[in-house]
Amino acid sequence: MNLLTSPARRSAAVLAGALLLGSLSACGGGSAATSSVDKSTLTIATDSDSASFGYDPLRVSDAQRQFFEGLYENLMTLQPDGSVGPGLAKEFSYSADNTVLTLTLKEGVTFTDGSTLDAALVKANLDRRSDTALSAYSAIAKGGAQEIATVDVVNPAQVAITFAKAQPGFEKNLTSTLGMIVGKNAVTDTASLATTPDGSGPYTLDSATTVKGNKYVFTKNEKNADASKYPYNKITFSVIMDPQARANALVSGQADVASLTSPTVDFAKSKGVGVSQIGGTVQTMISFDKTGKSSPAFASEKVRQAFQYAINRKALVDALHKGDIPAWNALPKDSAGFTEELNSTYAYDPAKAKSLLAEAGYADGFDFTIIASAQTQTDLQAVQKDLAAVGITMNVKLAASTDEAFAAVATTPLGYAPMGWDNPVGLMYGAILSGFTNVQKATDDQLNAATAEAAAAKDDAAKKTALTKLNTRLVESGWMIPLYESLTNQGYNTTKVQQVKYAGSNVYPLLSSYAPTN
Amino acid sequence: MEVTMAMFVTKRLLMALATVLVVAVLAFLLVHAMPGSPGAVSLGAGASQDAIDQLNQSLGWNDPLVVQFFRWLGEAVQGNFGNSLIDGRSISSDLANRLPVTASLAAGATVLSAIFGIVLGVTAAVRGGFLDQLIGGFVGILVALPAFWIGVIFVYLFAVQSTVFPATGYVPFEVSPRDWAMSLALPVITLAVGGAAFIARQTRASMLEALQQEHIRTLRATATPTWKILYVHALRYASLPIVAGIALQFIGLFGGSVIAEQLFAMPGLGQAVQTSVSTHDAPAVQGVVVIATVVVVAVNLVLELVTKFLDPKLRAS
Repeated sequence: MNLLTSPARRSAAVLAGALLLGSLSACGGGSAATSSVDKSTLTIATDSDSASFGYDPLRVSDAQRQFFEGLYENLMTLQPDGSVGPGLAKEFSYSADNTVLTLTLKEGVTFTDGSTLDAALVKANLDRRSDTALSAYSAIAKGGAQEIATVDVVNPAQVAITFAKAQPGFEKNLTSTLGMIVGKNAVTDTASLATTPDGSGPYTLDSATTVKGNKYVFTKNEKNADASKYPYNKITFSVIMDPQARANALVSGQADVASLTSPTVDFAKSKGVGVSQIGGTVQTMISFDKTGKSSPAFASEKVRQAFQYAINRKALVDALHKGDIPAWNALPKDSAGFTEELNSTYAYDPAKAKSLLAEAGYADGFDFTIIASAQTQTDLQAVQKDLAAVGITMNVKLAASTDEAFAAVATTPLGYAPMGWDNPVGLMYGAILSGFTNVQKATDDQLNAATAEAAAAKDDAAKKTALTKLNTRLVESGWMIPLYESLTNQGYNTTKVQQVKYAGSNVYPLLSSYAPTN
Repeated sequence: MEVTMAMFVTKRLLMALATVLVVAVLAFLLVHAMPGSPGAVSLGAGASQDAIDQLNQSLGWNDPLVVQFFRWLGEAVQGNFGNSLIDGRSISSDLANRLPVTASLAAGATVLSAIFGIVLGVTAAVRGGFLDQLIGGFVGILVALPAFWIGVIFVYLFAVQSTVFPATGYVPFEVSPRDWAMSLALPVITLAVGGAAFIARQTRASMLEALQQEHIRTLRATATPTWKILYVHALRYASLPIVAGIALQFIGLFGGSVIAEQLFAMPGLGQAVQTSVSTHDAPAVQGVVVIATVVVVAVNLVLELVTKFLDPKLRAS
């Protein structure tokens, strides 16, 4: 049947053509890549929503420092070479026994609420440390190894922090979100930080153009004395969770800088994008239970050591994380405490794992459950096969809720998380010896001693010795079961942004380090 | 006649309200069935039980369910869905920002899929023969392609290789109509491909049936212009299932836009629900579910009214 006459056919063809053209022209005809380059603006594509908990810098960890660095200032600052420099505190000094840290504050610092910096404000900030919702303060909370006992106003420009125990080198902690100071209004009404930042940082939030969870726009805060150190007048943090979409945004010009996952690095490079890489994040299994409370087998060091021998790290990396580095060290490759010895001592040896299990009384193996997230499930399934080969049945359960994932530290014997070791002493005291990975309050004299030694180390050689001991003991004790060291990749548009530089071994570049190419 | 129509509309409106209410109750109960409490979510893993209990008390979490529901409903009908447990922001204002994104995506993809679907379907039915087979095969392939895969290909071709369109992001219409259209282009086309194929099949089948009708044959015998026979008389006769298909497309796209929103980093409702579920932000999840239900029910209501208008038999009943 052919009902269309010639004019009708022509009409249909014209209609179809018009629709096609219409749909295309409606979509515009410009090119993102050819649009003029605005050197006053920097767009950073990030893999997570830094402000998902609002704008309280104390509710997030160091991973979100770069974002909050724009809005707030730290008591001490991380320098481009990774060292510690002055911040809101222009000077600091320790008492002879290292139990009191006195900070001398900068003058003329104004917050967005109009309040100014003084010792009382710093005290009011640090006195929030009993608030359990403030992740950044968990390390200094009551009962912790780095507990701040009191904060006292010496005079308006000086504040004294007294520790429960000696804390030499504590100032490094103040370069992370822990050291960020919020204004007086925010300290008084902390709930206001859910929606409104109150900082003295080089930028302020442009609420009108910010879309929560999608993009955050910062504009230059001219009241900040160091604002000139930040080259861009405007910075946009664009939240793009999908790794490929993030790489696409960088390649096609919607982002100037983007955090890239290892699988997208080659793609980005092939499109002419620059990529800066740094190691430092060890993806590791953590023995939450070292006392046998949730799984009796985990009370035995031999059992925990058996895991070290049972896992084929190289196969895991080859199969799932090409470009990353198999890890037998708890500390990363660039750390002073890294030692090649561990790589061979704990090399893949399933027979040795079986014999250790037999020595511990688990010749027939045992079973336990681990809680996985969507991101860790595949890795854990790979490890599951290795463990099954030596008789350990690891049931991988996907967390049904955030509560379940959090509760796993107390209800399951083993966990899996990325560990950054930029501040080993802080991490040991804040998360490993005490803190969230040791709910059962296990103790290990060698780890305590090595951490204290690292904290007290006065020079690089002493630090290296202490950290090597610490690293070795973490692996030997099975408190840490490292799997691989992942590379952190920052892609950047080479025509617009200079090569991205990391601050020492810190995997999160300083916001001030991004600079235009000319 | 007018009284009948008014009664029809009133009945349907009441049914729509009842549907929204039932979904609101279910969403409310589902949120309460989730493990944990708002206090635990809001204060995080390290919070003491005392602090959690205190916050739950202040939020009214310990009140009887009926009291909680009606308190929530009273606020919801005034457009207030409460505050996020995670950051304390107003859920209503967040939804107000996100709704236009998802609506633009769903509406754009529906219009595009309807236009191409109808043109392809009518052409296949009318021309028959090789062209019908060609369109049938083409449509079969399009139906089978996952939207995510199509999106990846489009991005590679038109955003990465040729940079004609942006790969990610959404620009509000009020900021720049041109950039708004540019930002929607790829996600809309991505979502429209499968929809166009579905509507093309629907249109072809309906048109084939319509063309067999006696009144169409009569029109042909009276030398009525062919375009008028096809696009006015036959298409109108065939329109009921096509309109229903288009409405279903819109509903599906409205709920299914999460794929496009993730792939193109767009701040829509899909992204909101994904974030809210992963952070266990129960009031936010509840708000999105209710808003999405209102949209779906409204579309269904409009569909019924349009159907009644298009079908003389239904109109008379």
